Amino acid sequence: MKYEKVLHKNLETPGYAGSLADYERLGGYLAIRKALKEYAPAQLIDLVKRSGLRGRGGAGFPAGMKWDFLPKDPAITRYLCCNADESEPGTFKDRQLIERDPHQLIEGMMLAAYAIGARVGYIYIRGEFVYGAQVLQRALTEATRAGYLGKNILGSRTEIDLHLHRGAGAYICGEETALLESIEGKRGLPRTKPPFPAIHGLYGKPTVINNVETLSNLPHIVNRGVEWFISIGSSPKSPGTRIFSVSGHVNRPGNYEVPMGIPLRELIYEQAGGVRNNKRIKAVIPGGASAAFLTESSLDVKMDFEAIAQVGSMLGSGGVTVMDEDTCMVRAALNLMEFFAHETCGKCSPCREGSSWLVQIMRRIEHGHGRAEDLDQLVRICNNIGGKTVCAFGDAEIAPILSTLKHWRSEYEYHVKEKRCMAGDRGEELVGIGRH
Amino acid sequence: MSESVQIKTETVKLTIDGREVVVPKGTLVIEAARALSIEIPFFCYHQKLKSDGNCRMCLVSIEKMPKLQVSCSLPVSEGMVVQTNTSVVADARKGVLDFLLANHPLDCPICDEGGRCPLQNYSQKYTAYGQFKEEKRIYPKDYFSPLIEKEMNRCIQCMRCVRYCDEVIDSQALSSVNRGFHVEIGHYAEKQLDCEFCGGCVQICPVGALLNRLPLYEYRPWMLTQTETTCAYCADGCSLRLESRPQTREVIEVTSFWGNETKSVWGSGRNEGDLCAKGTFGYEFVNSPHRLTKPLVRKGGRKDGPLVETSWEEALETAADGFRRIKTQHGGAAFGALASARCTNESLYVFQKFVRLILGSPNLDSSVRYGAVNAARAMTELTGTPRWLTSYEEITRADLVFVIGTDITQTNPIAGLKVKAAAKRGAKLIVATPLRRRISTLSNIVNRATRHLAHAPGAERAIAIGLVKAVLEEGRLAERVASHRSTQRLRDAVAAITPKQIERATGLPYEEIKAAAGEWASASRAVIVFGESVIRAKDGYETVRILGDLALSTGKLIADGCGLAPLMEENNEMGAYEMGVVPDRLPGVGRLDDESDRDRISRAWKEPIPAGPGLTMMEMLKAARDGKIKALYLMGENPVGSLPASAGAAEAVEATEFVVCQDLFLTETGMKADVVLPAASFAEQNGTFTNQEGHVQAVRKAFDPVQGTRPDWEILSEIALEMGYPLEYEDGAEISHEIARLWPGWRELPKRSEQEEAVARYLNEELAEGVSERYRLDRKTDHSVAPNHRFRLVLGPVLFHSGKMSLKADGLMKVMGRPFLYMAPEDAERLGVTEGRLVRLRSAYGPVQRSVDVEVKMDAKYPPGLVFFPESFNEPPVKDLLTVELAPVSGVPVFKTTEVLIEKA
Repeated sequence: MKYEKVLHKNLETPGYAGSLADYERLGGYLAIRKALKEYAPAQLIDLVKRSGLRGRGGAGFPAGMKWDFLPKDPAITRYLCCNADESEPGTFKDRQLIERDPHQLIEGMMLAAYAIGARVGYIYIRGEFVYGAQVLQRALTEATRAGYLGKNILGSRTEIDLHLHRGAGAYICGEETALLESIEGKRGLPRTKPPFPAIHGLYGKPTVINNVETLSNLPHIVNRGVEWFISIGSSPKSPGTRIFSVSGHVNRPGNYEVPMGIPLRELIYEQAGGVRNNKRIKAVIPGGASAAFLTESSLDVKMDFEAIAQVGSMLGSGGVTVMDEDTCMVRAALNLMEFFAHETCGKCSPCREGSSWLVQIMRRIEHGHGRAEDLDQLVRICNNIGGKTVCAFGDAEIAPILSTLKHWRSEYEYHVKEKRCMAGDRGEELVGIGRH
Repeated sequence: MSESVQIKTETVKLTIDGREVVVPKGTLVIEAARALSIEIPFFCYHQKLKSDGNCRMCLVSIEKMPKLQVSCSLPVSEGMVVQTNTSVVADARKGVLDFLLANHPLDCPICDEGGRCPLQNYSQKYTAYGQFKEEKRIYPKDYFSPLIEKEMNRCIQCMRCVRYCDEVIDSQALSSVNRGFHVEIGHYAEKQLDCEFCGGCVQICPVGALLNRLPLYEYRPWMLTQTETTCAYCADGCSLRLESRPQTREVIEVTSFWGNETKSVWGSGRNEGDLCAKGTFGYEFVNSPHRLTKPLVRKGGRKDGPLVETSWEEALETAADGFRRIKTQHGGAAFGALASARCTNESLYVFQKFVRLILGSPNLDSSVRYGAVNAARAMTELTGTPRWLTSYEEITRADLVFVIGTDITQTNPIAGLKVKAAAKRGAKLIVATPLRRRISTLSNIVNRATRHLAHAPGAERAIAIGLVKAVLEEGRLAERVASHRSTQRLRDAVAAITPKQIERATGLPYEEIKAAAGEWASASRAVIVFGESVIRAKDGYETVRILGDLALSTGKLIADGCGLAPLMEENNEMGAYEMGVVPDRLPGVGRLDDESDRDRISRAWKEPIPAGPGLTMMEMLKAARDGKIKALYLMGENPVGSLPASAGAAEAVEATEFVVCQDLFLTETGMKADVVLPAASFAEQNGTFTNQEGHVQAVRKAFDPVQGTRPDWEILSEIALEMGYPLEYEDGAEISHEIARLWPGWRELPKRSEQEEAVARYLNEELAEGVSERYRLDRKTDHSVAPNHRFRLVLGPVLFHSGKMSLKADGLMKVMGRPFLYMAPEDAERLGVTEGRLVRLRSAYGPVQRSVDVEVKMDAKYPPGLVFFPESFNEPPVKDLLTVELAPVSGVPVFKTTEVLIEKA
């Protein structure tokens, strides 16, 4: 089925190059004009609250509510940060939005900054996105020259300045408090919460951190209204479209913007063109490497926050990785575990010590040196990590092992007992997972 | 008075393990539990540090919260229900231990921390045993520093060391390096750690990852005896713990009052547990093989005979005979006596009593004469007491701190921490110093300044005058003072000095000084911290008085949270002044020229006190050279080694008929003495030191005096007995009691009411006195960039050394074993020298015509044209390039600075 594109509308328009002129021609920067004229900041917050827009970065937290947590005293300096550190394996939606339609993001940030009263905003962009950073920098310059950014934007006496800050290659810097530390020039290590960034964020000031896709939704909500936004998608709690990055053993990997809540099966078979060589699906990661694996039996799940949670995984960053019947699940889990063990920041004991412990056991199992007690040991270690770490990384890193152990324990047992693999050995072909 | 009375603290009630507890709002759960004596285990938490929540050991279960919570970073909330001992919590702790033990080596039997290690203790308590059967992580062994041993394999990555170094010391010498599983503790220096060596990282490390290298592998903690005592180095007055082996009378190491939770005390003492390099690593002078352990006398009693070892009986007899002879032949006035302000109050008290009563001489002085007397005297005139009217706590809580005349990290590192704490809290920090901002692993107070008055060297007085002028002329006077008649004199005095003159003297725009004065006047809790560049200058006394005028005129002399904080160098300078080891004061800061003071003491001693005033140190030395002083008694004081050659101390000692010297070491003065008596160190006696604030603090004996040595007061008693005058005491405590009887307020802090009286008296009578002498800019300060090879040489104290003690402490010698001439890189370049090269210094003027070669070290902290040499080193004899000048009022020998010519050697 074909769906109306919202965030992808511009970039899928032939000839659209993402310049300021292009963006304006297709109706860009009307939302900010409208907001400055028609809404007081509090009204804009209310509008976004009513729209039910939820964060597209991973946790799915309602954006308007996040904004509302900031102290009301306008005298307190506050900051806006855009999390453009898209590093979740299997996720590449923000990159496209940045590279192809940077002004949509800038306008979204202007709206957010205006709503929360931030005069300064930072875009923290993943270090590897060299081209994206160039595009954004160019767009920021264009926007500043055109008077969209600066001391007195569009004659409204509102001041908004946006700065681009490039990361240096750590996955953990996508964690919002590690991101703040990194902007401050420190090691990118997550902070202990509470206090939350809404109270004590960047440089100790109240701070809102929103994802690229979340922010890119804002101009459309302002232009077309809450009713329109809520009408998209299957669940009232997960309104709007969602961009899914589909990868793995599919015929047409790529980013697909669809209404939230379409069935996973439809996403894979209709949007992404089905599984290569008509193989059967064995496993799907529905929301980035941090999300638990689903089996073929969950293919009819609706791709919205609640439905995915009900089947034991999460919608996360929208990175959907499909694995066919020949995939070795031990190898797939090891692949991800290698990634997590490499990327753990090392701040808290369970994650620092646990990730390398897990990866060492997984390597042994994969390479035919597994021991009978290993599987229980894996679960025990995972349970000692889960819920006990400084940030969500701990819960993320155990998801692949726990979910594969749950659904495909026999494969692990086969590895341990027979010292070889049960499935075909194609794990390494998994595109976008744990290659580093 | 105190904040807790004024501010009603909100409280929160919560339940922990079924027990209710009420604690102040904002308390952390872990602390609330501690209030109930419920122990929650932890590694990374420390009260001195911001919570980091990284070890995850302190997880607890909280009702209505799905996940376990870290109790070290969660503040309590009303009605919270906490469980610390459920099976879920126990399993979590066990899990965390499992992780921490996974890569931890099983080398407890050889680890210095073994026996006081929380990882060991908790492992036992929570019966954790290694589940880990994979390959252990092994960090390659690398050399870290001469004083600190790093054993990364034992590290549990709690980062307390890194956090302490940053948050408390403000040095950031340590950092975590690498990521994730490979995180380790590292530092920025190229080869080895180069930092302040406060040793805080060693103290705060919960395991054996960072250790004191000096006693490495030499002890097991349970074999050591702990003695809580007061540091013998500077006047900050830090409490520390001597870890010693009484059997061999050795100090094995020094620990602070925190560091390891199994030691259980969280930062007590004036230093709240923090120490500096001298405190942590400077203890070895006690164990030094160079200690005197046998008395020495001149062979055959001949003046030109060599010093030979003898028995205590013979030495005491020789000393007593000599003193008796001089007294009979020449009378009491023929004696001169000098004491070191490093001695205990008790020894100092007995010393002055001995000199005044038994030798019958008014001629006694102490090392306060090197400068501290300027501050003590001016402060006493201003406020009736030499003690601070403020405190470290008030500095920490101040909203403005004005620091002048001190490179505080180098001179008084712990007082420096208080200033840094204030600055980190957001206080304004005005720093007046010629030094520049420079980031390095040694913290530099200038870096923290919110306003830097980068004045010309030696212009402290001009700065102070400028500030008073601005305050008076900009109408920033406190009401009570503004209406007072005596302020008119002050107005006239400052009006006579033009802004131009101030600008010329300070090298700063007057506007800058005016802005600083405005900030000072507007602050409500403001303290002036001033140090040796003020106190030891020729006009030190006047500058202190002017700073007093500044505080008084703005209502900040005795107001809550405000005051003057003079920094002193030696540990017991305050005590020496207060015990009356100066020619014009009696114990309890009584005045020798005040008949009632003299009578009171005479009555207590049941003997008349010789009328004064006696001679000051420099007068004594001159009198000795002139043949008027026939005998010198030196208790720990070493004028020959401390003063430049031009002061003539050596000639004075040589010219004196009979010289008795008692000391830890054979000093330059001792070598010229007739009798040398070996004294016991601070570790070997009971007594008290009074720190610069005025806190009288206990000095406790860790072990008996090293074989052959005796405490100073005991030696005095024995000579007295030998001379036929009983001056007997059972122990240090008996002397303390006598001091307290004579001066009931001794151990207490000054009373507010008495200070108010004194200040009122000052305002009425003394403020206007000598105003015109005080407010004078007579000396033209040259602050142009030195032409050609002319430089301003400044001598001063450094962090790693104090003089005779530190030079015998191997640990400190490892960090700074030889002196350098510090200069700005620009100057080095101009002279064409690089680091480590020798330069030749020659005095630019004056009678001293000699040259000295010194090794150069570049430090951008020093401004061009200024070179710095650490005064604790007598070799090379840079000090001897200086001519001693006498400060007019106090007779302080001034040898801080001179002009020199420098060329490549």
